[in-house]
Amino acid sequence: MENIKRIICSLFLMLICAFAVNAQTVKEIRGIVTDVNNDPLTGVSVFIKNQPTLVTATDINGRFKIKAGQYDILVLKYIGFTIKEVPVSTIKGEIVITMDEESQNLDEVVVTAGGMSQRKITLTGAISTVNIKTMKVPTGNISNALVGNVTGIIGRQTTGEPGENNTEFWIRGISTFGANAKALVLVDGIERSLDELNVEDIESFSVLKDASATAIYGSRGANGVLVINTKRGEAGKVNINLKSEEGYNTRSRTPEFTDGITYAKMVNEARTTRYQDPIYSNQDIEIIGRNLDTDLFPNVNWSDIVLKNGAYNNRETLSLSGGGTTARYYVSGSYFKEDGMYDTAQKSKKYSTNASYERYNYRTNVDLNITQTTLLKIGVGGYLTNETKPRMSSSDIWSSLSNLTPLTVPRMYSNGLIPTYGDGNTMNPEVQLSQTGYLTKWENKVETNVTLEQDLKSILSGLKLIGTFSFDTDNTNIITRAKNPELWYADRRRDSQGNLVMRRVKEASLMKQSSESSGQRRYYSELKLNYEKILNKDHRISSLLMYYQQEKTSTVGITDVVTTSIPYRNMALSGRLTYGYKDRYLTDFNFGYTGSENFEKGKRFGFFPAISAAWVISEEPFIQDNFYWLNMFKVRYSYGEVGNDQIASERFPYMSFITTSASYNWGEYGSNNVQGYRITTMGSSNLTWEKAQKHNLGVDLVIGNKFNATVDFFKDIRRDIFMQRSQMPYSTGLQDLRPYANIGEMESKGVDGTTSFTDKIGEVGFTLRGNFTYAKTNVINYDEADNALPYQMTKGYRLNQTRGLISLGLFENQEDIDTSPTQTFGVCLPGDIKYKDVNGDGLVNEKDVVPMGYTTVPCFVYGAGISLNWRAFDFNILFQGTGKSDFFISGKSVYPFIGSETGNILKNVTNPEDRWISREISNDPATENINAMLPRLSYGGNANNYRNSTYWKKDGSYLRMKNLEFGYNIPREVSRKFFAENVRVGFIGYNLLVFSAFDWWDPEIGSSDGAAYPISKTYSLNLTVNF
Amino acid sequence: MKRYYKNLILGIAVLSPMVFSFTSCSSYLDVDKYFDDVLTLDTAFTKRVYAEGFLSNAFEVMEDEVCDMSTGGLGGYALFASDDLLRMGDGDLTKKYQNGEYSASNTLTEDKWKRVYEPVRKATTIIYYIDNCKEMTMSERADVKAQAYFLRAYAYWVLLRQYGPLPLIPDAGFDISMTYEQLSVQRNTLDECVNNIEQDFLKAAMNLPAVRTANNIGRPTRGAALAARARLLLYAASPLYNGNEDMFSLKNYDGQKLFPEEYDEAKWARAAAAAKDVINMKQYELYVAPSTETTVIPPLNDTYSTLNYPDGWADIDPFESYRQIFNGAVAVSKNREVIFTRANDPENAFGDLLNLLMPFSLSGNNSIAVTQKQVNAYYMRDGRSIDDAKTTGDYQELGFTTGTDYDFLPPNVSLQYANREPRFYASIAYNGSIWECESASDAKFRNQQIFYYKDLSDGKLYNNADKFPVTGIGMKKYYNKEDFRGAGGYVVVKFEAAIRYADVLLWYAEALNELKTGKSYTITAFTGEDVTISRDVEQMRYGMKRVRVRAGLPDLADNIYNDPDAFRASLKHERQIEFFAESKRYYDLRRWKDAMVQENMPITGCNVDITKGDLLRQDFYKETVITTYPKLFLPSMYLWPIPQYELTRNKRLTQNPGW
Repeated sequence: MENIKRIICSLFLMLICAFAVNAQTVKEIRGIVTDVNNDPLTGVSVFIKNQPTLVTATDINGRFKIKAGQYDILVLKYIGFTIKEVPVSTIKGEIVITMDEESQNLDEVVVTAGGMSQRKITLTGAISTVNIKTMKVPTGNISNALVGNVTGIIGRQTTGEPGENNTEFWIRGISTFGANAKALVLVDGIERSLDELNVEDIESFSVLKDASATAIYGSRGANGVLVINTKRGEAGKVNINLKSEEGYNTRSRTPEFTDGITYAKMVNEARTTRYQDPIYSNQDIEIIGRNLDTDLFPNVNWSDIVLKNGAYNNRETLSLSGGGTTARYYVSGSYFKEDGMYDTAQKSKKYSTNASYERYNYRTNVDLNITQTTLLKIGVGGYLTNETKPRMSSSDIWSSLSNLTPLTVPRMYSNGLIPTYGDGNTMNPEVQLSQTGYLTKWENKVETNVTLEQDLKSILSGLKLIGTFSFDTDNTNIITRAKNPELWYADRRRDSQGNLVMRRVKEASLMKQSSESSGQRRYYSELKLNYEKILNKDHRISSLLMYYQQEKTSTVGITDVVTTSIPYRNMALSGRLTYGYKDRYLTDFNFGYTGSENFEKGKRFGFFPAISAAWVISEEPFIQDNFYWLNMFKVRYSYGEVGNDQIASERFPYMSFITTSASYNWGEYGSNNVQGYRITTMGSSNLTWEKAQKHNLGVDLVIGNKFNATVDFFKDIRRDIFMQRSQMPYSTGLQDLRPYANIGEMESKGVDGTTSFTDKIGEVGFTLRGNFTYAKTNVINYDEADNALPYQMTKGYRLNQTRGLISLGLFENQEDIDTSPTQTFGVCLPGDIKYKDVNGDGLVNEKDVVPMGYTTVPCFVYGAGISLNWRAFDFNILFQGTGKSDFFISGKSVYPFIGSETGNILKNVTNPEDRWISREISNDPATENINAMLPRLSYGGNANNYRNSTYWKKDGSYLRMKNLEFGYNIPREVSRKFFAENVRVGFIGYNLLVFSAFDWWDPEIGSSDGAAYPISKTYSLNLTVNF
Repeated sequence: MKRYYKNLILGIAVLSPMVFSFTSCSSYLDVDKYFDDVLTLDTAFTKRVYAEGFLSNAFEVMEDEVCDMSTGGLGGYALFASDDLLRMGDGDLTKKYQNGEYSASNTLTEDKWKRVYEPVRKATTIIYYIDNCKEMTMSERADVKAQAYFLRAYAYWVLLRQYGPLPLIPDAGFDISMTYEQLSVQRNTLDECVNNIEQDFLKAAMNLPAVRTANNIGRPTRGAALAARARLLLYAASPLYNGNEDMFSLKNYDGQKLFPEEYDEAKWARAAAAAKDVINMKQYELYVAPSTETTVIPPLNDTYSTLNYPDGWADIDPFESYRQIFNGAVAVSKNREVIFTRANDPENAFGDLLNLLMPFSLSGNNSIAVTQKQVNAYYMRDGRSIDDAKTTGDYQELGFTTGTDYDFLPPNVSLQYANREPRFYASIAYNGSIWECESASDAKFRNQQIFYYKDLSDGKLYNNADKFPVTGIGMKKYYNKEDFRGAGGYVVVKFEAAIRYADVLLWYAEALNELKTGKSYTITAFTGEDVTISRDVEQMRYGMKRVRVRAGLPDLADNIYNDPDAFRASLKHERQIEFFAESKRYYDLRRWKDAMVQENMPITGCNVDITKGDLLRQDFYKETVITTYPKLFLPSMYLWPIPQYELTRNKRLTQNPGW
């Protein structure tokens, strides 16, 4: 490696020194740029290809002039229009250039690995691109717009809590059970976070999916790469863009709980049906019904009390861009605020404990031409967030909502005391929200990067050297102000005077504060040598040689464990070689030679090659002659290896760590205790990164410039997945050391695709689009004990497949129980769940748990949408859905009365027709419905009924109307009066409808009991003004 | 041209800092500097403090899993799983052990397999690395290494006793990167195991010092290694392991039989010689306390009352001699009887044991019960069994003391408990015995006579099922008259005598008895010289007589010494009494193959449903079967099942017969 570095450095210096003169005739070109309606376009940037420093812009009449050599190519670029290239040699006199509005086009440029852009037609790898417009949704996190919009991404949003409401996603699904299955996210070429990014700042967004696309990232690219570039300034007049969005969030499906009377009656049924005494007398029920005793029989609907119907969010964005021939800039700032849906308004506190999230984003990208061939790009971006939350976590609050029955405790006792139940740590959600303090979280992130591009055409035309250095830092501070009120509980009786019998459960504690913080910094340096050339018109050659090194260090939260302070470091030498003949036969070779600090000396570097090839059949003359409507038909294939070096939560698994441990006392009367030491982690030799072997076969099709389709089939075999060895025989004495090893192996296969159809009927232009991603995993090798029951092994099944017993419905009668295999979980009565004895041993027990269905994270994700535009109006709708997803429901709100006094009852389970009711209670044999949704009730839990089985397995698939958008562009004549180029008013409805078989709560959150902050539904109005 | 030079200079000026910001590749990823001052396996053993620490940590298992006398259940439940002692409560564990409610997939609290291989591996590591520790002198290193050998052998022995033949760890240890296939080692034969363990004990004995100071009394000594070896060889010679037909079916993965098929009498001779090695050290002697006039005094005997110990008990107090070994009255470093001890921490399990046995009304847990079988085993004070004494009317089942008729006995005590040997009074809390509790600050707790009648505060009525002795008989062993856990009180620190000399003496006698009369064996002793071993009655007497005389009992009659079967029966009887509540009987019954008979007898005790005021108070003492503690012993239970979790991990492991 040392040698390679030396060669690169000297090569680099040599190139710099070798400037030479390259002369050609220069002439001045004049022209007018118009749109298809012959209206002149103002502010179009005009520059010479490969020399972005030679740039000008059209004036208000669409005119421009620029000096260019006779062999140069003129490039015209304007937002919303397709880039146009005009060879100088074809220009005679003043020319009129018409630019086409952007649509699906063969010349679409795609950002690929290394931040390079490439025409879509020449791609050989699997890369998805996204139209940024479709991602501009009114949520705080851009990740929420990925699923259903971006081909190849599978994900889900598990909470709607402000500040936490991002989407967890994976490229082509979860393809490893190792420590890191997450995609690498690169913003401006540097590993950064996707969340908190201001969507208005994004210029391009690509997803690199196969090995040929990610190979140059070597040991970091195994899980795919997201490449995002931010906007940069264009020469021309100042472009001011103002956007204001005002939204209203409401809760989507929130679990609803039953009232006191229904609850009390169901309690009594649950008790009597199991031959226990009822808890509530008829008199009690009368009291509840008439609300006569608000202390002991309070009948509270907690959701109504602590949840608001909705909350506002808004975002204001301002961006400026422009510049001239020597300097161009893009400057933006935005403010985003979202409030939570906790109802804390009327509470008597001078501070608010409602959840709220505020974020200030800023970004400055400046490009400077230092010389005619040297371009300096400086980017500074970052954000500041300010978040407030109740001190109790949202899971505490939501679980107390689902724990607390309408009758447990009142909001406040009539004597003014604050109630609690259980051991005192359990409070009612209103007290949790308003009486326990709050926390503020403050996060600040600064990302800076400097890039210097040196055009080396003086040495070799098409050669370019690019150096980048970046420094990112972020800090998070959390200040918690915690208090506890004095908590009381009233026994369910009154004394002889009729007063409450109060018991103090917990003393008050005054407001106390504490803080925690975390932070990290990251250095990144990169040097790229890029060469691109077309030889003899037909041979397109490009190559890229890249060297980078990266360091990430935690700056806060360093513990006495040495590894917490050691920087994470990567370095790599990587490259790409592409060759294309007539844009017809294309082939790429990519490699990454990457190193990671995580492995032992001599094993730190790995070589990850990938090859790919494509045949653009539509470029063949016989196709072009006979099937003129076939604009593109391309077949691609790639194969390569990529790695994953973040393989375990423990770092440096090759090292043995020794720490203090239990001691022995040698002396009489405990007089000689010698501090014990032991090996806590045994280092394993021969450790290496996790390797992925990836195959991708893709087809691209464009018909009549209207219909577009891409389908990719992939297969990802992941080997050497890092695992802690859990199955060491105890007789080796090694069991407690749990060493790591490259053991696991799994396969992930699937297909993803996208299609669109664009056309115009009369004045109505429309686009239909759709995409899907399907991935199926199969664990090939897993560290586990052999099991005589193969279906109980992880091996051979989907990763994280749901597992449970197979339910055969409910027992019909005692005879049914007696003749069925013995269920070992407890005494069964008619109306209890009957399970299948899978292994046929006559017993139903843990051995009959089988893999079933799919996984909680969906295996199939799709999206479909329509865009329409008619004159100044536009309309856009996107549906997004998932399939092949299962989850179990369980917990206090789902299993009635599993927690005796705690556990609220969902409205969905209160309908008597939905449950098995014994004829002794209903006096009607028909109520013994063996197909009911709920088994025979029980009080205090029922080990037979309440366990994961097909009975409680729910289909997690859903279809949602994710996005509904109307827009109207105010006529230019009107907007010009306000000095505005373009004014657009719009409405976005986000997440308005959800369709799913399971409708107790939104299945996307994957919650087993619904006790989670629901995903919000947003109505948002927006106004965009361009000056 | 000039412009290009300008460009060039500018370009270099801007780009070169970037170039030099790339540091050298090889050092960029190097993390060694961060670990320079951090412990690694190689550096750890160069420092004395860490080497000592490793040993300390490795021995830690001696406090729990390997410790037979641990009451937390960690050491297994041997203490409460035999026919002498029960523990109430604790999740009905005693009942489960007694009733054989365990299997390969439900091993109750018995997890030696899981934990005891760990010290084996740790000891192996120490043996491998300790020579790196140049901070230690050569002899210090030899000592540490010898202690590690001792630990390894001891841990293996504990496993062997529980599970039978074992897979042994190779001397070099296992490489953790081996496949599960490679790590799945099959069981070695019994003889290989015994041999291996014996070699480790011998290596330990070579380099261990003969004596330790008080602050290192928990470390093994040469005597401990030799005694542990003698015990190992005695077990190997015992019926369970020596030509036991029932075990012939046990094979390893390759089909090799694991138990020796031929009975080999020479094994007894080797066991005897090994015990003799300890005796020949002349370092150990049974603990004796000087005679006093306040305790249980043996009846006048022409021989023994006049001669001094070991020929008689004229100068000793047998009751105190036996009792003080267990009640903390004498420090272990001052007690020549103790060969190996461990768990010296005051917070150890003995504190817990005392809590369990103390009566409820004296702030105890009141949850230890002694069986009637054990009570009946104790001799009369004149050395006769109760059955013999019954025929002459000296043992009375009916009637109570008045408080003046029997020395040492308070009033209202059943006459069953009168005139018994000193060890009875040192071990058994019979109904109505006195608990001194001298450290209690409140006088009402001192010198209480505790009864277990149903209606009293220590009886069945007022306590839930786990807070009274179900047999109506409690335990006094390990109780010191100063002990009190309530207000103002304290508990005297006790020591576990893991191996005491009395054991060695009885092994010696036992092993010699098994040799055919007239047959002699020449065996190389530890010291190197050859010794001749044969069934020499005088040598057997050397072992047996010392133990009996210390307990205030006359030596056995000559006809017993001359009859191997009679002597064997007497020896087993002697062990049952001498080692009561020391976790020995559980394993003795198994190695003798007596468990099928002894552990299938129902547990009996007093009738705890009788109240104090009952007209038929006598009926309390009527032998009653304790139905809540059923007993079950099956032939498969001679060895513990190898846990199911291990069988799934190690494919080459074979299960013990019957599981």
